[in-house]
Amino acid sequence: MAEDQKKEESVEKEPKKEATTPAINELEELRKKADEYLDGWKRTKADFINYKKDELKRLEEIAKFAGEALIIELLTVLDSFDLALAAFGESDSDKNREKGIYLIKSKLENLLKKYGLGKIVIKVGDRFDPAVHEGIATVEPAGAQEAGKVAEEVEAGYRLHGKLIRPAKVKIFKQ
Amino acid sequence: MAKILGIDLGTTNSAMAIVEAGQPRVLENSEGNRTTPSVVALSKADERLVGLLAKRQSITNPKNTLYSIKRLVGRKFPDAEVQADKKWLPYDIQASAAGGVDVKMGDNWFKPEEISAMVLAKLKADAEARLGEKIDEAIITVPAYFDDSQRQATKDAGEIAGFKVRRIINEPTAAALAYGLDKQKNEKIAVYDFGGGTFDVSVLEVGDNTVEVKATGGDTHLGGDDFDKRIIEYLVAEYKKQEGIDITKDPLAMQRLKEAVERAKHELSTSLETELNIPYISADASGPKHFLIKLTRAKLENLVRDFIDRSIEITNQVIKEAHFKPGEINEIVLVGGQTRMPAIQEAVKKTFGKDPHRDINPDEVVAMGAAIQAGILQGDVKDILLLDVTPLSLGIETLGGVFTRLIEKNTTVPTAKTQVFSTAADNQTSVEIHVLQGERAMAADNKTLARFILDGIPPAPRGIPQVEVTFDIDANGILSVAAKDKTTNKSQSVKIEASTNLSKEEIEKLKNEAAQHAAEDRLKRELIEERNQAESLIYTSEKSLREAGDKVPEDVRKSVNEKIENLKKALGGNDAEAIKSAASELSGELSRIGQYFHQQPDSASASA
Repeated sequence: MAEDQKKEESVEKEPKKEATTPAINELEELRKKADEYLDGWKRTKADFINYKKDELKRLEEIAKFAGEALIIELLTVLDSFDLALAAFGESDSDKNREKGIYLIKSKLENLLKKYGLGKIVIKVGDRFDPAVHEGIATVEPAGAQEAGKVAEEVEAGYRLHGKLIRPAKVKIFKQ
Repeated sequence: MAKILGIDLGTTNSAMAIVEAGQPRVLENSEGNRTTPSVVALSKADERLVGLLAKRQSITNPKNTLYSIKRLVGRKFPDAEVQADKKWLPYDIQASAAGGVDVKMGDNWFKPEEISAMVLAKLKADAEARLGEKIDEAIITVPAYFDDSQRQATKDAGEIAGFKVRRIINEPTAAALAYGLDKQKNEKIAVYDFGGGTFDVSVLEVGDNTVEVKATGGDTHLGGDDFDKRIIEYLVAEYKKQEGIDITKDPLAMQRLKEAVERAKHELSTSLETELNIPYISADASGPKHFLIKLTRAKLENLVRDFIDRSIEITNQVIKEAHFKPGEINEIVLVGGQTRMPAIQEAVKKTFGKDPHRDINPDEVVAMGAAIQAGILQGDVKDILLLDVTPLSLGIETLGGVFTRLIEKNTTVPTAKTQVFSTAADNQTSVEIHVLQGERAMAADNKTLARFILDGIPPAPRGIPQVEVTFDIDANGILSVAAKDKTTNKSQSVKIEASTNLSKEEIEKLKNEAAQHAAEDRLKRELIEERNQAESLIYTSEKSLREAGDKVPEDVRKSVNEKIENLKKALGGNDAEAIKSAASELSGELSRIGQYFHQQPDSASASA
């Protein structure tokens, strides 16, 4: 008798499967929604914080390159000085005039250096690198090994705080 | 969630943008530029170059520098277009086995879409580097006149580059999206796209969430580059007249001239005249030669007048094909750098009888629109997250009848702003919160939304109590205004429904009125501020005299009172200057009292 009772008890003690009522369904829905909204809120907050961090970086960039537009335009003045110097002849009176122009150019260059300007160094025979060179014409090579290399600098290239702002214009040896 | 990239794959230049927090943003490439030349090359060192780097060796390596590939994509070799272009394209093209076009780069033949794919691949890599995340999906734009074959080829280009191309959308549609014009109902939109190498004009009709291209037309060989050529021709002829030299024979000189012309053309969009000053442009046996020629905007407009007229002629034709009249077009959108030219903007305005939309950078409009489409697909613009802005400023009335803003117009909602105010008179135990909406400086000129009173403020001298006023607008545009006394924590509030039930036109009208009255409102406001400060000063002066009592000598007291009287008299009038000077005189006198405060009266200092 005792065993039967036990059996019945254990059968009764089996947990009944919970019936899902509409109320419980709704609760689940709302819980899901609440989670979704909280997640969305956190993401937006995170986006905002990240945006502020990016903004700070952008402001630093702007401060650093604030003068970039002006400096790029001033480069055309430097170019004119370079051309002027190249046009001077060998006579003595020319030498003094040449020096005068050279000093003006120097003054401008040093001023711009203060603001981060750096000239790109070009040597004849350099490998042509479109990252810093712009090819504008080809010339006949002297020997086969010079094909495709830089033959002449026609216009100087410049960097501002390390960033290329104008490539150097070069002539390259024909293939 | 992964972002979808919006790409404007242009004939000469390409651009890309993504949507961030609901706003489209153009992404810079690895060189830091917002546009990327649609150029691919095989360098002399057998290196594959894309974009600006490829462009930089285009002159010295013409056979292997591929540009304007868009002109060949999806076309058949016998097409009139292809045959015409073959005549001037410096690289080799031939018929492909399937009848399409093959292009040569180095020793290999490529399909045009494979070349476009290289440009797209660079954009993909640069975007991933900028954003620090993988981008696998894209929206790419194409001209409205592209046929199925051209669209499919563009899609293929995207897939070759590693994108899943979610959509191919029309460029004019993208431009309309960028300006939010897709949200209008039953509107007719014209998109005038004057780029570097091509001119396209389309007429769209916007319906229920659909944008339909009604008609399209253009000239695939009319662009800003043609303007440059025309100007160069003119200047070369002028220079020959002046100096007797033909600089076309000097390629370096022509290079310098070309760059100067591009700069001059840009300048003439904002100045009426400019100078082309190119020292040492050339040299001959007699020495160095310089170039100095003035160019006016009027002259420039004359030089290119026939190009502009042709574009308007095509525009009128397209409108006719759409069965509309120019006056029926509701909105006009400008795309492409050349549309920055005042003469073009005027011609467009004249044709349609209204101002075109040009606020968004015309070089970036299409990419922005593609990004917006991407945002919509991506669900970034979930309806429940669509946020509004409050169209007009909200605030309260403060001392002197001034309107003090708490929430500026165009603030995104929901939002809340709090500011602390105080009492205007001694022992003032209640404050009236007069809630207003509008843009005028004076409260009386704005709209009253509500009034309520917060009382029970403990008596105190003016300016001492702290009343915290909070404006809170919820996502439904319902404004709640609360006022709390920080000492007692007593608070009162009011809820205002539908504070923004004004129509778009009414809102514009109010803003314009405010702008018109801005100057006189500012003067009124300044006068009031002077008054307030003056009254405050009188209050402080009289108080100081009272507190100083006998410490202040009679003559000083008399002098201060005199200045107080002068100021009170000035306050009777409306001259801000008079009030200001009387106030500063009183201020000066007042400072003399200061020294007497710290002296003990004689009687008190005497010891008992």
